[in-house]
Amino acid sequence: MLLPKLPLRPTKLFASATPPLFSTSSPPPPSPPPPPLKLPKPPLFLRPLISSATPTSLHSFHSWAKSLALSTPPDDPDPLDPNLLLRELQWLLQDATGDVGRSQNPDLVPLRADLGDLYGLWRERVLERRPFQYVVGCEHWRDLVLWVGEGVLIPRPETEVVVDLVKEVVIGRSGRGDGEEVWADLGTGSGAIAVGMGGVVGERGRVVATDLSEVAVEVARFNVERYGLKESILELKAYEGLTRVLVNWLAPWDKVQIRQGSWFEPLEDVKGKLTGLVSNPPYIPSRNLPGLQAEVGRYEPKLALDGGKSGMDHLIHLCEGSVSYLKPGGFFAFETNGDEQSEFLVDFMVSKLENNFRDVKAVADFAVIKRFVTGFRS
Amino acid sequence: MVPFLLRRFRFKPFINPRNPNSNVLYSSRHLEPHNGFRPSHSVFGWTWSSQNSQNPSRSQSLSVIYRGLASEAAFVEARTSDGLTVDGIVEQRWPILDEGEGDWKSHAAAIAQSIQIIKKRLQWKKIMVRLDVLSAELNRPDLWDDPVHAGKVSREHGGLMGKLKEVRGLEQELLEQIDMLTLAHEENDEELESESMKALLLTRRSAKEKEHVALLSGDHDSCSCFIEVQAGAGGTVVDEMPGEIAGIKRATLKVDGDYAFGYAKAEVGVHRLVRISPFDSAKRRHTSFAAVAVIPILDDASSHVQINESDLRIERFRSGGPGGQHANTTESAVRIVHIPTGVTATSQNERSQHMNKAMAMAVLQSRLDQLEMARQAQMNAQHTQSLTKISWGNQIRTYVLHPYRMVKDLRTNYEVSDPDSVLEGDLDGFILSFLSASLDKHGDDL
Repeated sequence: MLLPKLPLRPTKLFASATPPLFSTSSPPPPSPPPPPLKLPKPPLFLRPLISSATPTSLHSFHSWAKSLALSTPPDDPDPLDPNLLLRELQWLLQDATGDVGRSQNPDLVPLRADLGDLYGLWRERVLERRPFQYVVGCEHWRDLVLWVGEGVLIPRPETEVVVDLVKEVVIGRSGRGDGEEVWADLGTGSGAIAVGMGGVVGERGRVVATDLSEVAVEVARFNVERYGLKESILELKAYEGLTRVLVNWLAPWDKVQIRQGSWFEPLEDVKGKLTGLVSNPPYIPSRNLPGLQAEVGRYEPKLALDGGKSGMDHLIHLCEGSVSYLKPGGFFAFETNGDEQSEFLVDFMVSKLENNFRDVKAVADFAVIKRFVTGFRS
Repeated sequence: MVPFLLRRFRFKPFINPRNPNSNVLYSSRHLEPHNGFRPSHSVFGWTWSSQNSQNPSRSQSLSVIYRGLASEAAFVEARTSDGLTVDGIVEQRWPILDEGEGDWKSHAAAIAQSIQIIKKRLQWKKIMVRLDVLSAELNRPDLWDDPVHAGKVSREHGGLMGKLKEVRGLEQELLEQIDMLTLAHEENDEELESESMKALLLTRRSAKEKEHVALLSGDHDSCSCFIEVQAGAGGTVVDEMPGEIAGIKRATLKVDGDYAFGYAKAEVGVHRLVRISPFDSAKRRHTSFAAVAVIPILDDASSHVQINESDLRIERFRSGGPGGQHANTTESAVRIVHIPTGVTATSQNERSQHMNKAMAMAVLQSRLDQLEMARQAQMNAQHTQSLTKISWGNQIRTYVLHPYRMVKDLRTNYEVSDPDSVLEGDLDGFILSFLSASLDKHGDDL
């Protein structure tokens, strides 16, 4: 596996300034450079072992953290589950500690953060309701461990199924055609679906993922690189003959490519050629945003949650765009807010966009909520 | 270099003359490697070979001839030049003294006794009968019409033949060493005599080790396993108390490693704990129970029960509310229900739903495999106790912390007076005593 290089690729420090509409004779006053992009901290489990602690001091951290986890007020209308917190505490320690056997001093446990920082992190988790995934900087999703942080939506367990849906389609159509197949993930966030799809789209498949947020694009690129999905085709094809090697050497392409832009905007080059299109767009109705669970409402980016008045602004935009971006027979899968939105969308695609799609249906998640809408371009 | 070459040469196989089409390779007696039974003194084997060629007059009597390896049951019992057999040695009732004391007879008697124990534990008679059945199957010309069945037959045959060869190898070794000693004695070769005594002692030790290995000769003993612990009624078994985690209602553990199932199966049953409950403010004595089940994780994929995806219902549990983007949780527990059998499996300790699902599937697979094995065992009218079926009456062990301190196994009466060490995991004594007791009581199986 390719190990990530930290820090990440140089971030864009200067966004291209918008050209002035009317050129004036005098040069514009020098504007202050935009602030550098603020990226979240790298995941705890990938940080170097910079500190250490005695087993005794770790134990006292553990018992302190445990009692804090169990001390949540019983009348909290939005309570934390102590069982869950205790499991999270275990995972925090798992991510924060290194292998004792490899430390120089066998009486010390090597740590990836100062013990003092761990106290701070746990306070943030329990008292300030910071999502656990932001605290440790990663989310375990499918068989992946993805970098996440403030500014990037934490991928949900439900969304794992999107990759399974794609996998089914890939298996179903294997043997058909021989050209490359391009799959798109719109609003990729941490890149979870894109990286997951990269593993299931087969040898001829590649993935293009877009996101409007610059932070999300950087985080997603990191996750793509960590799973070796960048320029992996070059290695893969290297054994297939000199011609292929030459072709790939001249024009290498990434298995998973992340592009910045809104929804379909960065996809002009693949318009009408997409084999598949998936998305987990913001779908929460705006009026519901204030009442969200503390971890979500206080910390996660509104950009990734707010679906407009009915919650369906982006979903409808995606459905309409699919008509022109999918190739005939192309597959789509969208995550929705649940039964109501899914049923509406199925009806919308069948009646309003009639003859453009076939086999449109709602698919339930493991909690038996109609979570996805899937179908094919006619 | 020379011993190395000789050893290489000894491995040369030949095709079973009775059944040249069989894909099972047989080794002739003289070419058979002694791997496994001569751990450190194969050089001695070579010394013996050269001695042998220097004394052609003895070579005939030194060799012990097996014939008709294709029919494993029909063979001429191995004997020394003086006509002594392994059973004969046992009948002599030579006293078995400590390793450091006694003459060769003590060693020989100890080895012969080990061989008898090993045979008993392996259920020797059953193996012989089974081998005859399997050999007959292997000889059928239409065997490979059903490759799956043929594979099964030849695997089982190979496995049993392996056991058979090991035991016969051990018998062989013992008798050869006695012959060597006799020879050394007759020829007043002191060097050879002391070499032979050393070899005999080594054989005695390795035979003792084999006794332990033979405890774990069950079909799935070598597999990894799941251990399930379920808290039961009696006194106050607390699942959760407000504000305090006071116990676990049910837990499934995965134990990876060689012979995990073979050892862990000794823990199947109900464990009873008597103590002053830390959760009782009146400090009264309580009795609580935990039922333990053990399921092997079959490593041979072909023996897995096929599971149809459409027979499964996969659910998130402890879920509620709208989910999706509304909820941030690290909870991704999954329950899988196998609809036709009603068997369920859950997993909640993995960090992603996908991994929880994979773990729950592994547990489900093992449970269904277990069910199938139980069904087949019933069909074969074998009286094997199903390991998952535990009644609360089936108590196997008591842990008393108060008013006195003791742990006692009710099956073997093995007991220790230090419950803390047992509760912290020192179970070896309990496991070994149970395994040997349960295998050794079938005296008539030899």
